[in-house]
Amino acid sequence: MNQILTYSVYGSAILVMLIGIYAVLTKKNLIKIVIGLSIMDSGFNLLLVALGYIKGGTAPIFSPAVAGKDVLMVDPVPQALVLTAIVIGFGVTAVALSLVIRLYRKHNTIKIDEIKTLKW
Amino acid sequence: MVANPILYIALPLFTAFLVPLLAKLWKPLVRIVPGLVLAYLAIMSVVLMQQVSPEKPIIAMIAGWKAPWGINLVFTSFSGFIASLISILAFFIWLYSFGFKKVEFDDAQKYFILFMLLTAGSIGVVLTGDIFNMFVFIEITSLSAYALTAFYKGRDGAEAAFKFLLIGSFSSIMLLLGIAILYTYTGTLNMAHLALLMPQVPMHAKITSFLLFFVALGIEAEMFPLNGWAPDAYSQAPGPIAASFAGILAKAGIYALIRVSYTIFDLGDHGGFELLLVMGLITMVVSELVAMRQENLRRMLAYSSMGQMGLIMIAFGLGTKEGIYAGLFIMFNHAVIKSLLFLASAYLVYYTSRKKISDLDGFGKLLPLTSLLFGLGAFAIVGLPPFSGFWSKLSLLIATANSHMEFVLATVLAVSVIEIIYYFRVLGRLYFRKAHKEIKVRKPTWNSVVTMIVLALVIIAVGVHPDFITGLLHNAATDLADKADYIQKIIPDLFSQTLN
Amino acid sequence: MKKLVIISLLLVLGYSLMNTFSDIEFGKKREGISSYFLEHSPDDLQVANTVTAIVVSFRGFDTLGEVTVLFLAATAMGTILFRRRSKHTGLNPQRKSPQASRIVQAAGKLLFPAIMILGAYVFIHGHLTPGGGFQGGAIIATGFLLLLISYRQFKVEHKYVTWIESLAGLSFVTIGLLGMILGPHNSFLENFLNVGSLNDLLSGGVIALVYIAVGFKVGAELTGILDTLINIRETGDID
Repeated sequence: MNQILTYSVYGSAILVMLIGIYAVLTKKNLIKIVIGLSIMDSGFNLLLVALGYIKGGTAPIFSPAVAGKDVLMVDPVPQALVLTAIVIGFGVTAVALSLVIRLYRKHNTIKIDEIKTLKW
Repeated sequence: MVANPILYIALPLFTAFLVPLLAKLWKPLVRIVPGLVLAYLAIMSVVLMQQVSPEKPIIAMIAGWKAPWGINLVFTSFSGFIASLISILAFFIWLYSFGFKKVEFDDAQKYFILFMLLTAGSIGVVLTGDIFNMFVFIEITSLSAYALTAFYKGRDGAEAAFKFLLIGSFSSIMLLLGIAILYTYTGTLNMAHLALLMPQVPMHAKITSFLLFFVALGIEAEMFPLNGWAPDAYSQAPGPIAASFAGILAKAGIYALIRVSYTIFDLGDHGGFELLLVMGLITMVVSELVAMRQENLRRMLAYSSMGQMGLIMIAFGLGTKEGIYAGLFIMFNHAVIKSLLFLASAYLVYYTSRKKISDLDGFGKLLPLTSLLFGLGAFAIVGLPPFSGFWSKLSLLIATANSHMEFVLATVLAVSVIEIIYYFRVLGRLYFRKAHKEIKVRKPTWNSVVTMIVLALVIIAVGVHPDFITGLLHNAATDLADKADYIQKIIPDLFSQTLN
Repeated sequence: MKKLVIISLLLVLGYSLMNTFSDIEFGKKREGISSYFLEHSPDDLQVANTVTAIVVSFRGFDTLGEVTVLFLAATAMGTILFRRRSKHTGLNPQRKSPQASRIVQAAGKLLFPAIMILGAYVFIHGHLTPGGGFQGGAIIATGFLLLLISYRQFKVEHKYVTWIESLAGLSFVTIGLLGMILGPHNSFLENFLNVGSLNDLLSGGVIALVYIAVGFKVGAELTGILDTLINIRETGDID
């Protein structure tokens, strides 16, 4: 049972990530590429949160209801890391979008194969 | 003088937040204040380098938590050497660009903030003792690098920056995956603690994670074939920024790669070093061959820069102390010499938008000092005596010979010949061709002349008297080679627990 | 053909990742530094929300880095999309987005104060309940986003955004530097205030203060970024 859960949870997170990478590598539309980057980040965030889960654990908050009692809590570190990763992903997406806007202004298109200087 | 490694990060950030307010008082402050901060950091580096020794690293806690629970900054002989190199170079690049860009005030403000944060982020990558914190600093560095690449509106900066951003995003996702694997197996993020717990990680997870780190940091360190972003970014960014990509960004990238492969992972004897060596060889050979075919001066310098990064990887890939010494020496030389070349080339191609090498005919007479300095840099980078590049290349050749890698030695020598060919082609155009008619020349400003002369003097001084720097390099090499010592200095309690 | 290559590459990547991660049992408790955090966050710091304690205190340097990343993103966008005032090239005729319907406008006006209060609540209570500076700041930015999409003429004053952003950032670093002077270990971002007692609003010492500064900064920055992205089309004057 647990084996199935392990495969399905991690597998779906990794799948989301791979879909993002696929979009970045194959799509011709710059906006879609940026969306792909976003999906990639989301996949990783899901994976990291899943890695921190502990069966039967509660949120790592010592609210009055649990203070002083011996309760099992999930690993708080991945949650803190994911928070950082989300914020950084947001920053990168914002910069990427502004670059797309500038490319659009310059070339009047967001098709990657119509912008010659973008090829390598 | 308050000298604390924290200030390398805290002070630039404080200033970055303050500068938009200062601008409301007096506009030139946006140029001056970042320079003052970088000058302070450069002086602080000198002070800290005198305090530090391989026996006594400077460890700064954050929020009062000891490692491995809190993040710490570790200023050792090795990391301190690179951090000092970066901070001093950054000050000179600031000096160079101080009057260089007579742009609108708004742009100047952003330029100096971004440049300062690029420096702070790179120093953060070098000093931090925590793997996730390193990721955060790499992102700070990359974001400022994207923006600076797209700084000029007239060029194809946005295209170069977009490419850079795509590759950079792959790098960060790989890095995060590597960190996630390590965290789940060891439950820690501190580098020393990770190194201590590494034996308990199963082999296949270790290899996957190492490869992820290797690819991610290889992108930053301009390793072939992951360096597609570099030639565009180098050629589209403003001149001083291209210099800081070579001297600051790439140095932080290669530092991270070395820290990961030497300290965190224990795969050195299981092919980790060989991988570094082979990738270094490929990077060097391919980049230098491509550099020979470039028509654009900036791109030529960019490919040459990648070739040098390959050389550094070879040196560290030897895995011996001599190799580390040679690698550090090349890093130092590459930072100084390549910066000089980029800074000088910015004036050589100031008015030609194509930046073609063929447009350089006769500049030796038109811009005598700049051309002379460029020539000096070219002589130094190919490794001719009596310049500093000679000693670093010599130490690399000795190190390869002592490791009995004759093939590597022969390749390095052969590639040096290629380097000589394409640099001398440029010099030939500068000095032995007649100038085109009606060529516009931009005279260097006094501050950029001072910067270039200081860099040139460093090259000559180290070339004539290498002992200026060899002591520091030996300390740094000793420090990196002794991994157990690093762990013990940072987490003494846990280290002694494991021994018992 | 290219797609096939990419798919096979992705399959290799996916397989190797799956191979590694499938050994990590889902939901299993593992040893590590997190137990130290769960122990010391309520005891030493009197912070109920352990994630907040990690984000602001144990790994406070990461948070400083994150705030810098947002600041950088805003600065970078300004650099990339510089605006020249009133220069119409004619290439891109100004496209006027249609005015939002009256229902949206009225609802936006009604909801805006509530969203502000919710955002402020989330970042003030960051050390007690789920949430914190980043989340609260994001909520505040959504309030401004609502106004931006329902009123076409609505514009965020960048002057105020700059002031809030800079002052909040400065107070974060200043609190950190004060920790170097006043804290017991003289280290950056260290707590130098009375930590109070668990689950009080006034607990956690500097953690609460830092998160409030982060809340203001993130709110201002995200709002600025949204405004830059939305109004760039309205002004339509970059070339």
